[in-house]
Amino acid sequence: MLLRLSQATKEVKNGSEKIALLDSIDLKVEEGEFISLMGPSGSGKSTLLNCIGMLDSFTDGGYVFLEEPVHSMKEKNKSKLYKEYIGFVFQAYHLIDELTVQENIETPLLYKNIKSSERKAMVADMLDKFNIVGKKDLFPAQLSGGQQQLVGIARALISKPKLILADEPTGNLNSKQGIEIMELFSQLNKEEGVTIIQATHSESNAAYGSRIINLLDGKIVTD
Amino acid sequence: MIRNYFKIAWRNLLKNRGFTAINIIGLSLGIGCFIIISMFVIDELSYDRFHEKANRIYRVDADIIMGGTELNLAVSSDPMGATLKKDYPEIEEYVRFYASNGPKLIKKGNEFIRESAITHADSTLFNVFTLPVIIGDTKTALVEPNTVVITETAANRYFGSPKLAIGKMLETDDNGKTLYKVTAVIEDMPKTSHFNFDFFFSMANVSYDFGTYLSHNFHTYVVLKEGTNHKTFNNHFIEVIDKYILPQAKQVMQIESMDDFKASGNKLEYSLMPLTDIHLHSARYAEISPNGSIQYVYIFSAAALFILLIACINFMNLTTARSSGRAKEVGIRKVLGSEKKALIWQFLTESTLIAGLALVVGLFFVWLSLGWFNSISGKELEFFSLLTPKFVIFILLLPFVVGGLAGVYPAFFLSSFKPIKVLKGKLSTGHKKNSLRNFLVVFQFATSIVLIVGTIVIYKQINHIQSANLGFNKDHVLIVDNSGVPRETRQSIKNEIEQLADVKSASFGGYLPVANSSRSDNTFSMDAVMTESNSFNMQTWRVDYDYIETVGIEVLDGRMFSRDFGSDSTGIILNETALKLTGFENPIGKKLYSTERDGTVITNTIIGVIKNFNYESLRENVGALSLKLGNNSWETIYRFNTADIGGLLSTIENKYKAAAPGMPFKYQFMDEAFDDMYRQERRVGTVALAFSLLAIIIACLGLFGLATYIAEQRTKEIGIRKVLGASVTTIVRMLSTDFVKLVMLAFVIATPIAWWFMHKWLQDFAYRIELNWWIFAITGITALAIALITLSFQAIRAAIANPVDSLKTE
Repeated sequence: MLLRLSQATKEVKNGSEKIALLDSIDLKVEEGEFISLMGPSGSGKSTLLNCIGMLDSFTDGGYVFLEEPVHSMKEKNKSKLYKEYIGFVFQAYHLIDELTVQENIETPLLYKNIKSSERKAMVADMLDKFNIVGKKDLFPAQLSGGQQQLVGIARALISKPKLILADEPTGNLNSKQGIEIMELFSQLNKEEGVTIIQATHSESNAAYGSRIINLLDGKIVTD
Repeated sequence: MIRNYFKIAWRNLLKNRGFTAINIIGLSLGIGCFIIISMFVIDELSYDRFHEKANRIYRVDADIIMGGTELNLAVSSDPMGATLKKDYPEIEEYVRFYASNGPKLIKKGNEFIRESAITHADSTLFNVFTLPVIIGDTKTALVEPNTVVITETAANRYFGSPKLAIGKMLETDDNGKTLYKVTAVIEDMPKTSHFNFDFFFSMANVSYDFGTYLSHNFHTYVVLKEGTNHKTFNNHFIEVIDKYILPQAKQVMQIESMDDFKASGNKLEYSLMPLTDIHLHSARYAEISPNGSIQYVYIFSAAALFILLIACINFMNLTTARSSGRAKEVGIRKVLGSEKKALIWQFLTESTLIAGLALVVGLFFVWLSLGWFNSISGKELEFFSLLTPKFVIFILLLPFVVGGLAGVYPAFFLSSFKPIKVLKGKLSTGHKKNSLRNFLVVFQFATSIVLIVGTIVIYKQINHIQSANLGFNKDHVLIVDNSGVPRETRQSIKNEIEQLADVKSASFGGYLPVANSSRSDNTFSMDAVMTESNSFNMQTWRVDYDYIETVGIEVLDGRMFSRDFGSDSTGIILNETALKLTGFENPIGKKLYSTERDGTVITNTIIGVIKNFNYESLRENVGALSLKLGNNSWETIYRFNTADIGGLLSTIENKYKAAAPGMPFKYQFMDEAFDDMYRQERRVGTVALAFSLLAIIIACLGLFGLATYIAEQRTKEIGIRKVLGASVTTIVRMLSTDFVKLVMLAFVIATPIAWWFMHKWLQDFAYRIELNWWIFAITGITALAIALITLSFQAIRAAIANPVDSLKTE
């Protein structure tokens, strides 16, 4: 088992009112799954992804990741954990504008203190694998959206995470680019066994997953 | 990792050229200013430290109060050094300088050159001071009479080289003509010395009534043995006074004991002044050269630090204000696994890189402005003196210190962003209330305002001094030095020039109300028998019949000296302060007594009273002064009345050249000589002006950057407001109001601080301006106006932008 949520809740205060963004979520994720989170805007998809990714935290309930109780962990240990095991892919790609493709992909490795020669090799592999060797010295602004997202995924994969969290990965792309990205995810999931959780609006994207979870008003409606 | 930091920092700098330029210009001005002032301060602090025994050398100073006149002297009596060495084993050696005779004329070919960097010195000179010799034996160099030690420069000037100089004779105008043999040539003295002589003549050639403890004319330096405390040693001077000085004093006036002497309000004290303190801590009468002032070292240092701080604040404000531009990167990096610490280091690297670039530009500013700084500060700082190891280390450290100082707050601020917030919603930190940023803007402007007020006050005070009613008329007076003119011909030249239509009057005189003129302090008593209770001291100036008219002094009572009265040689004229000391109601015809050194009592009859005139710096009140007839003719002063000063000057010069061929014609105008007394104040004024300009420029640069950024941040808001009908004026006002409030707050804070500092500074002057409210008002309005102009530039640009564009891009 990769992770387990039990009665996980996220509440925020809005003035004097308490609003539950996530309400008593129970969820088990096994390694190798490809899960699609679906639901209308404001249903809590992104919040759930952020909390699973430890960028945000539940206000109540339990969260166990690889047998480690995340809910009682300190910030620093959490950061170590997700640095090691989790990769993120964003709707807006979130590449660093001042870095080239190659440098963007390399960045996570810098924070893991990997030697320069080893980094070079890993980045070269990744560029090769994603077929973007020719673009390695370009800056994000010089790429199309699909290419940027490709770099974003390459960057998420470079540190060999167990789990990839993708928040509307194709939201800013046209349909052809979207299909390419989704096929890439599917391939990664099947061939390399990477666990993927994606949030999406699109039925067709969700269909790439092995499991679909529907959210509404912070609650799981169907699983 | 660090390479990655540098890379991204560099690309960021290039991407935001405008901000980079503002940051680097601001910081480089601050750094440049800081480096120049550091050079100045280090130079000032390094005075006299090149002597091997520097920390054991002391000068014997004297503090005297006699009859209400106070004298703090840098000189002491001629037997003092020898007496100390004889009686106290703690004294290892002593040396005296006798420079009281003023400049000498030294013959080169057929011309005489006037040399003023001269002194007579004891043969022990080289046992005390470290003056490296080029050629000759310093042990014996000054033992014999008619010997002289000269510097390399002097040797080159008169003989071509040190080798050619050694053993040669120098002809001077001492007693008409005296020859000195060059026995040694030494290296030129460092500039950082409180004495800078080119000629050290043998002490044996000084014609002086040696052996008197009561006259103070010798700069006396002693070397204390290792481990002796000079403050403890000062106690020995009481014994010296009892044993040597009192017996001599008893012969001249009726003094029973030192206690009596003190009981009547008099004082005689000696003390040791550490050599290395002289330059910055000594401002005594008869200093060898005008010294620096520790006060100005402090003021300059503080100003430089503040300017650097203002520049750092710019950096902080701009960096945090544009933080939203970096927020996304921070968020991504955190998501990718960066710890906060790594981000802090990244931003610190970036600020250090900027500081490093600013250092390069700053050094360029230093190189550009050093000549100018030298000319206003009177220093001779050299750019390449920065290459000494100490300075290089200091300079290399500077970017780290400045980068750290300016970068630490932005680093913590930026690295604390929560990734989820910045990656999702839009983070706009630009126009949020940021109390620290407000505080920093207030600090910048408050500092600038204090500096501006300081500048205005200093300038006003200098003007006040120069236009003050001095009690004499300093304008249109020419002072000609007579030292090259044979005594016999001085009178005839004077008569001849007096005949010129443009010359109103002429007078001989050595005593003038300008700096570096002669002074003579004498004791007078109300009765023929002098006791310490009926006596007082005053300046006694020997002048001729035309002095009062030529200098333009007003006679209040009685008359001036006149050739029509035969008895005027015993006549005396007092100023108002002196009259007060006598206590006479009707002074004319009253008697005052003085005693010659041989004991003869002279009776002086008061024939007139003159208005007080300022003969010392306007820092002091006018002291007691009397005029007596005399026949010294060291200088001739001419009061002229013409617009064609150049023509008159060349006429006079020709007459002098004809009467004294080969002699230098040296003159000065009295108003210029007078202004010289306030050279330091004017220098400080100029430096202060430069500092305040810099401070306000840097502060405005920062404000400009902030305004630009905030206008950018609020583009959408401005667009919406315009669509809803807001006018350009309302929008400009909206964008400026916050800053205007801050500047006004800065003014409120700065006013009392500026008032306090300038009030203290003015206390140094006996004649000073009032601190008017309008000085502060003008400064406040100026600061506000400058800030408004800076702001409106951006505000107007933002306000007139077409809302369609701004709303579309958002």
